[in-house]
Amino acid sequence: MTRYIIRRILQAIPLLFIISVILFALMMNMGDPLATLGGRQPPRGEDRLRLARQLGLDQPIYMQYVFWLIGNDWMMFDTTGDGAPNAYGTRRGILRGDWGTSLVTRRPVVEMIWQRLPNTLLLMGTAQVVIIVFSLAIGVYSALRQYSVADNVITTGAFIGYSMPIFWLALMLMYIFAVNFKKWGLPYFPTVGMYDPAVGRTFGQVVWHMALPVATLSVTAIAAYSRYIRASMLEVINQDYIRTARSKGLPERLILWRHALKNASLPLVTLIGLDLPLLLAGAVVTERIFAWPGMGRLFLDHVERADYPVLMGILMLVSVAVVVFQILTDIVYTYLDPRIRYS
Amino acid sequence: MSSKSRTRRFGLVVVLLLLAFALSACPAQPVAPGEAPSEAAPPSLVTITFVQEPDNLSPLYTTMWFSGILTDFWLLGLWNFNDNLEPTPQLAREIPTAANGGISEDGRTITIHLREDARWSDGAPVTAADFVFTYEMIMDERNAVISRHPYDQFVAGVEADGDHTLVVTFHEPYAPWLSSIFTYVLPKHILEPVMEANGTLDGADWNRNPTVGVGPYVFKEWESGSHLLFERNPNHWQQPNIDRIFIRITPDDAAQVAAIKAGDTDIGVFISFSDVPELEALGTVNVVSTPSGFMEGWFFNFGEQAHPAIRDRNVRWALAHGFDRWQITQDLLLGLSEPPASPWDLSPYASPNIQPVPYDPERAAQLLDEAGWVMGADGVREKDGEKLILRYVTNMRRLRLDTQVVVQDMFRDLGVRFELINHPSDIFFASYAEGGAIATGQYDIAEWSSQPEAYPDPDTSRWTCREIPTPDNPAGSNWNFYCNPELDELFARQAVTVDMQARIAIFEEIERIIQEDMVWLGVWQDNDIWTVSKRLSNVRLSGADPFWNAANWTLE
Repeated sequence: MTRYIIRRILQAIPLLFIISVILFALMMNMGDPLATLGGRQPPRGEDRLRLARQLGLDQPIYMQYVFWLIGNDWMMFDTTGDGAPNAYGTRRGILRGDWGTSLVTRRPVVEMIWQRLPNTLLLMGTAQVVIIVFSLAIGVYSALRQYSVADNVITTGAFIGYSMPIFWLALMLMYIFAVNFKKWGLPYFPTVGMYDPAVGRTFGQVVWHMALPVATLSVTAIAAYSRYIRASMLEVINQDYIRTARSKGLPERLILWRHALKNASLPLVTLIGLDLPLLLAGAVVTERIFAWPGMGRLFLDHVERADYPVLMGILMLVSVAVVVFQILTDIVYTYLDPRIRYS
Repeated sequence: MSSKSRTRRFGLVVVLLLLAFALSACPAQPVAPGEAPSEAAPPSLVTITFVQEPDNLSPLYTTMWFSGILTDFWLLGLWNFNDNLEPTPQLAREIPTAANGGISEDGRTITIHLREDARWSDGAPVTAADFVFTYEMIMDERNAVISRHPYDQFVAGVEADGDHTLVVTFHEPYAPWLSSIFTYVLPKHILEPVMEANGTLDGADWNRNPTVGVGPYVFKEWESGSHLLFERNPNHWQQPNIDRIFIRITPDDAAQVAAIKAGDTDIGVFISFSDVPELEALGTVNVVSTPSGFMEGWFFNFGEQAHPAIRDRNVRWALAHGFDRWQITQDLLLGLSEPPASPWDLSPYASPNIQPVPYDPERAAQLLDEAGWVMGADGVREKDGEKLILRYVTNMRRLRLDTQVVVQDMFRDLGVRFELINHPSDIFFASYAEGGAIATGQYDIAEWSSQPEAYPDPDTSRWTCREIPTPDNPAGSNWNFYCNPELDELFARQAVTVDMQARIAIFEEIERIIQEDMVWLGVWQDNDIWTVSKRLSNVRLSGADPFWNAANWTLE
């Protein structure tokens, strides 16, 4: 098992390297970070050339990649504009823990991500807990009552939930629970932000502001997850060992949660294993609509400015998380199903 | 799975969530309006909505308009421009003129006397040394500042003569000095130690967290993705009437309009033309339009890669006559704007003798016939086997997409077709070196809004021969590829003509050449639209420095 994990980690290194090369090449074709600089008209030519030199954007793409990867403090650069290299670079590269500096804010990328990551984890983590709890309850409930009225209602509801585009759902929730509730004089939910700045970032405020975005994120996922759980529960529940357990006289609760669900949860673990790393990336659409200051919005805002250090930082963070969670998922499999052995 | 380990795992999830919560809630600084319980009345607050978040607050590192307009609150310069675009002294005691000895006889030296009562928000005096330091920081190679204009090309030196006299010397007389020098000043006592320690100001904390400034307000906090807060600056020479300025970041136009309707914001910024009727009908806000210096126009391509027709002056004039821009300003801009006659429309430098080219489709057809572009069997004009199909290129702005469609339809009967091309802004505006669509001449007609570089001053280098981009001059800004030595001479002359009347006369010549050669055709005046709550009074928004009189605003 240990050897297996070590092998997987070693395999991940070239994989991440290839991912980073591809991502970097894509980033470089996203547009010119100096095209507008966020201003209302393009910057002056002289300033553009100088900035390209100062920010290292005049280097060939492969050199920019090398600098991003291992830094540029081993090479002399022209910092005075006379064409003669005169000083060493100051970047250390991502392999030495330097994620680079945003071309837009001039702040360290790691600092910018660190500022947004907790907000995103809070939103996405809460949503994930809501999703797992509700989809387990709904999935198991409807599996146990296959083809009953309740099961049919849940199935219909799941298809409706699964079919709803997330932006539409977000806007509808906003329209009903914020705009109309306010109109009708009912207690209404806020539409944007993480808290009301006039009140401050209190626990109650954040929970209150989180309600609609969490609901938006959960509906589609609960619909999908509960279908998976229902299907795999149905498969397991009719197997011989469950009948054996029943005939042994085990209490139904124990049969259900310990014997059936444990085996039925393998597909769910796969799903969660795939979804968890994406929590870090945030929800681009939901965060945008509800103005949630998370990673998704950070990504969007910086895509518009072709700010490749920030984008590379976010994408590599997610890539590493995907690889790590894949390995973790495989390990969880062996626990859930002792028949699975890696060698 | 034993219930014990399940509990433990659930506990882990809870702990992780709580950790995330704690991390995100850590820097909690409640901004309760009733923070000071000793005061009887809660602090007065004006809320302004921004649809874009500033990238940086230091003017060294941003050209974002949404950042620049904040400096009137917290980082004043020598003077700013009022709602009539007249200079109004701020840190300068008076505007330098030849009469008060501020402008030397040769026009190369400007002497500025600073206010002696100006204080940084931490109480330190604002002195000429701060301005010299600002100049040094802009020019220092170690700082990757966004713009060095005009210091790199035109300024010979900046010197302090005592604590309160500043002397700026130019290589030759420089007409646009009033709108381009020291629109802000940096606090030397705060930033010099940072420069000494880090060797650059690029990553300085002050850029994002400028707790020391000079203005009626002082920066208090900036919560990324949420808001910025400014508070009354107790050390300013004029105490504002309103205690706090709150900038709320909204994700998009729709959210801003919703906030205006709900009365959650006092000033709405950068309103779309299409939202105006709805907002005017509210009755709770005034809709204000300010000239921004931006003029939406058609730039014709004079370069090698242009369609042969577009290089023919008659065809360009035919396009001008065939384009009913009044239909655009009426239907798409709801009559809130007019077609401009020149790039300097709505400014003192716009000559009354230059009028917009009238809509005259018959004349357009006649000009096209004369130029040899005759109607083909398929309804498209042609000459020597080439069809009159022009590449009409712009970016993704909604209004521009709509305009393209209207234009396509408008020219159908004239036998002119357009290939409509749209690029994202970072490709549309990319430089020649980056292969930008316009900079490399991949168009016949390009549409965007341009503004003189140091608005409200009319000076610009966009139209001169030396700015044509080439492999040797990849930074060139003349994306029309238009070269006219006569125009070059006029631009060179206006830049050194300090006398305003003489300069206006030169601009009349410039505007005449640009129109006669049909280098540029004005489509609409791209004014800035604002909403101001009726509970606010004395808000006199200026097109150049919108919040120039923030200290005088009053709240009912």
